[in-house]
This record gives sequence, structure tokens and C-alpha cells, in this order.
Amino acid sequence: MTAAGDQAVEADVLIVGAGMAGAAMAAVLARGGRDVLILESGPDRSLTDLVSSQIWARRLKWSGAPVRHEGAHGFAHNLNTASGVGGAALHHYATWPRFHNDVFRLRSAYGRGLDWPFEYETLRPYYDRVQSEVGVAGDAEAETWRPEGAPYPLPPLPVFGQGAAIARGFEAAELPVAPLPAAILTAPYKGRAACLYDGWCDAGCPVGALANPLATYLREALEAGARVRPHCHVVRVLSNGDRASGVAFVDADGEPRSARAKVVVLAASAIQNPRILLNSPDKRRTDGAIGDRSGALGRYFMLDGLALAYGLFDDVETDPHMGVSAGQLMHRRTHAARGKDQPFGGYQWQIAPSMKPNDIFGIAISRSDIFGQELTDFMPRAVRHIGSMAGMVEETARIENRIELASAKGRSGAPLATVVHDFDEDARALWTYVRDEGARIMKAAGATEVWTGPMNAGHLLGGTIMGASPESSVTDGYGRVHDVENLYIGGSGLFPSS
Amino acid sequence: MGATQIIGKREGQTRRELLRNAQRGVAAVALGGVGAFCPRTARADGAPMAVLKSAAIVKLLESFGETLVPGASEAGLAHYIDDQLAKRPEDSLLMIRYMDIPPPHDGFYVGAMAALDASSKVRFGAPFTELSTDQKRAFVGELSSGNPPGWSGPPSPLVYFVVRADAVDVVYGTEEGFERLGVPYLPHIPPETNW
Repeated sequence: MTAAGDQAVEADVLIVGAGMAGAAMAAVLARGGRDVLILESGPDRSLTDLVSSQIWARRLKWSGAPVRHEGAHGFAHNLNTASGVGGAALHHYATWPRFHNDVFRLRSAYGRGLDWPFEYETLRPYYDRVQSEVGVAGDAEAETWRPEGAPYPLPPLPVFGQGAAIARGFEAAELPVAPLPAAILTAPYKGRAACLYDGWCDAGCPVGALANPLATYLREALEAGARVRPHCHVVRVLSNGDRASGVAFVDADGEPRSARAKVVVLAASAIQNPRILLNSPDKRRTDGAIGDRSGALGRYFMLDGLALAYGLFDDVETDPHMGVSAGQLMHRRTHAARGKDQPFGGYQWQIAPSMKPNDIFGIAISRSDIFGQELTDFMPRAVRHIGSMAGMVEETARIENRIELASAKGRSGAPLATVVHDFDEDARALWTYVRDEGARIMKAAGATEVWTGPMNAGHLLGGTIMGASPESSVTDGYGRVHDVENLYIGGSGLFPSS
Repeated sequence: MGATQIIGKREGQTRRELLRNAQRGVAAVALGGVGAFCPRTARADGAPMAVLKSAAIVKLLESFGETLVPGASEAGLAHYIDDQLAKRPEDSLLMIRYMDIPPPHDGFYVGAMAALDASSKVRFGAPFTELSTDQKRAFVGELSSGNPPGWSGPPSPLVYFVVRADAVDVVYGTEEGFERLGVPYLPHIPPETNW
């Protein structure tokens, strides 16, 4: 996937991280005539690496510097991230809903969390543009919770037996569902093939139907002349005071190197971006890191709580191995649409994700409490009749949840990252509410057996939040670090809410 | 649901088959023989272990895995784990990668099996492999939710989760395992070997 003959370690724009955020910026900048160089800490990847196996797919997951956890509610970092060209988006599920209006004004409207430096209307044309560039499938009218915007360019995902069975429960509860909005092609689009609904998204989509970077923005970036160097582990940003001059990195041979650029973009994940900045001394201050004038660097780290509900539908062949990993249908509720006496926050159900027999979201692990003959009896029944759905539960940004540098160092010599995270009482209460609702819906759908999973979490957010004030945030609304005019952050680490 | 299309599993089968055939050659080149190892065959052939050199540890792992997921021992659970432990951490296919436990992971498995045996002796007065089927079942049920008496090593619920997942992989996570369950595998790019 990388360009051949690449030796120059300088560029107009230097991007750290070859995931979706870095790839999208690289495509735009390279098309605009800029010389773009991407440094990626992991190995090179190509579509032929995306083997249809939940076992083989583990090679895609994080294998870089270990990330430490503190606090009561951690998460599986290595599962939620990835190493290599394409980043976590190489195995992402491509659920692409729009943030609703509420999300941008939590502090102003509810006195909770943080405000964004702009509102939905500012982002709306970019949502429209990206869905047209990448190809997003869905039914905008059916999404009663969706803010205004252009209709999806592709028809919605199909519904299989699993989705139809669970939808009965939502209908009984008078809760609306809509086709899940997905960056997955339901018809050929811009030279890419349509999805086959074989349920292997988690292992990566070599068809190119799912919008992974190799099939979309990274391909475009390389075609426009951008370069990618894998196995380059960035340890700090170099600066001359008000401007970034480049980055220091360790190359594939373990040699310390530096790269120079007019503009530097950190797009290395919500954890690695603050890790790099916290390890980058700000020469203008005797004690402080680049981007940390406000003290917000590394702070306001967030996760989505994950609630899992399962049921066995003996009257339905659910074909759980079919469809896509994200699910077939969605139900979404904002805080504004919920009762004021209920725990604060919004959530969404992703209904009927494809399930294979094994792996972390597979059929056998859904009943991790059983083993031996009981498991042997369960499996043939479940592969024909199981239904599941995943509830993604909002967490409000809190300054206590953070990424900081550990005293231990990785192979590059840079300090490791430690994540300190707890869900507060509201988040735990909302998670419990969502879990219990899931069980009720499964019963209402006619499931003969219903069970739920333990509290989990995913989706890394915050840590380098944007904001209107340099006194309380790391970047402005463009992702530019407040007091370093040519240093930008890309990705979900910018988000002040989830 | 509106006008949402409901379709069955046969849709697109012809194109999928074409894709599979086209990709098999690509995958074989891309993987370069990396997946040539077959745990089931390795076990049947008595192939030597690369990392788990202790026969007692291997016997324990097979006995524990078989209690968790019937068929795991014959499917080559111990050889599978051993083969993965011998790889570079970034190439490992073991579920333990998801647990955020820094590699190398051989210490986890060796420590886990030592704890299992020591606790079994405290709990039942005999090594795990010598327990009756009912005793094994009762003991595994106990350790799945908390460290039993005499357990000293990685937390027993974590050991239960990880080794159970490994055993599920070799019994149900392969093309052969899918076939036994009657689940169409439908690969875009098939794994090079049927394990």
C-alpha cells in the first residue's frame, strides 16, 4: 500500500497515523497539491491481509506500546484499536450516524459536560460531503432522530431473519427502528463493489464495500502522490516555540530520526496523540508540554458504555452469520427525547449484528458462563436461532478521566500511556437502564431465552478536546492546537462529548 | 421497518463463489505459507512443542481445555497455543491479545496451569488431570467466578475466559468447526488452512 522509493523525511504536511482521520486529511491535502508524508507506527497493510477469520483478524489489532489502565472501568484497548496502515478503521464496523443537535451544547443546555466550539449546522455540509465521497447507506426519513441533512446516497442495508425477529420487540415496545446508517455499499458505487453480507466486517473487508481507508481516502491520497512510511514510531513533536517544525521518531531499524514539515498533524488515536504531546516539551515554558497551556491535554477522555442483550428465537432461522458486524437496524434516543427522571444521556441500539461462532463478540462468548456439554448443546441451537443487539451508551466528559504518561517506557524509549477512567454514577445508571431495556425488548420480541452481557466499553474519545477557549481546551474548532499555529489534531480525540 | 428489504442467505451466492475462487490464489501468495501449521495434525503426529516444553503443562492444558470445550484436546488446543506463543507478539492470533496483558504470554499459560494444579490438590487432594469428570466440572465452575483455595497465579476467571476462548477457536472458529455446526463459512479471503 505504501508508495515505492520513499526516502525523503520531509514534506509540506506531516501526518502521524495512517488511520481514517489521517487518511482523509492526506487525501484532501494531496489532491490540493501538497506534498504529504504519513508516518505510521504499525506495519504496512493491503486488502489481501483481510482474511475472513475471526482468528486471523487478531493480527490487525493493536500490537504497539502497551497501554496501562487505572480506575474502576477500563476497556479492552488492544481490541478497540489497531496497528498498521489503515488503523482501527481497517476493522471498524462502519456505523456512521450523525451527531444530533443535543451533543454540541451539553454544557449550555443541561449544565453537564462540555460544549463544542460550533453547532451541528456548521458540520452539516461536511457530513453531506463525506457521505457522498465515501458512500453511506441508510434511510434518512426512517431515522426520526436524525438532524437535517442530505439523504443517504445508497439504499439501506437489507434485513435478515435476526433483524426481523428483534424488530418485533421494538414494535411491541412502540420504539421506532430504522435501517442502520452504514458506510457500507449496498450497491456498486464509484468503482467499488457492493457488500455481500457475509458478516466478516470485523475481520476486515477485502471487497472494498466497507469504507476502510485502504478502499477510500488512503487509496485516494496515494493516487494523489501522498507517501506512507510504516514502522515509524513518533515519540514527540519538535517545535521552535510558536510553530511545530516536525517530529522525532524511531524508524523500523530502531534508529532515532526526525522529520520536518511546514504543517504537522497528529492523527494517531485518542490515546497516542496526547501521549506524544505530553512527551513534547514546550520551549516557551519551563515546565509544560506542547498543547497543554490550559491543563486540558489528556483530560476528558471518554468511552461509550457497551450493553449487550441476547435472545434465542426458536421460531426463527436468524442466520446470525449473515449481514454486517454493525447490525441491521438502529434505535436511537437522545437525552432530550427521554424523561427527565431517567439517568442523563443518550444511547443507541445497534440491532442484529452478524455473529460468528467464536471471538469476542461471537456466539460462544455470549454465554461465557457455560462450558462442557452445556456449551456443546448450546452451539448448534444458537447458530440457527440467536439474536443480539449492542447498546452504545453516552458518557459525559469529566476532567478526572484522563491519559497520562507512565513512568515505564516502551521500546522506543518514550513513556507509555496510562488511561485513568471511571464511569460516574449517571453513566452506570444509564448503562443499567439500557441493559434492562434490552432484555425487555428481547422478551417482547418472543425470545424463549434472554440474557445480557457484563458492562463493557469501547470507542475512544476526548483527551485532546476542541473548544472555544484556549483556557479550557487543547484545540480550536479546526483541530489546531491553540498556541501552535501549524500543529493540528485529527480524530475522535477532539470530541468534547460522545 | 418501512420498505426495508428482507433477503435470505442465498442472495449473491454466485458472485461470492467467484470472489472466493479469485481470492484463493491471492491469499496463498499474501500469506506465504504462514498458516501451514495444523494443530489437529500436529497433535495427532505428536509434533514437538516449541515453547510449552513441559509435558505436564501440555497434559494439563489439554485436560482443562477439554473440560471447557469438548473436542478441544483432539483439535490440537495445546499445539495451537504453543505455535502462537512461538510467534512474534504482533503475529500472534491468541485471544489474550485483547486482554491488554503485555507479551510475552507464555508465562500466563504456564502460571495458569501451575495454579490450576496446585489448587486442585488443595481442593480435591489430587492433580487436575486425575479428577473425575464431575469433579473437573465442579472445579471449573468454581474457578470461573473467583480464585479457588490454593490458587496462585493469573486470576482464575481470566484464565477460564482466555483458555475457553482458545478452545472455542480451535473447535468452532475454523472452517471445519463452522461446517460441523452447519454454518456456511462464506469467506471473502479464506484462511490458508482449515483450522
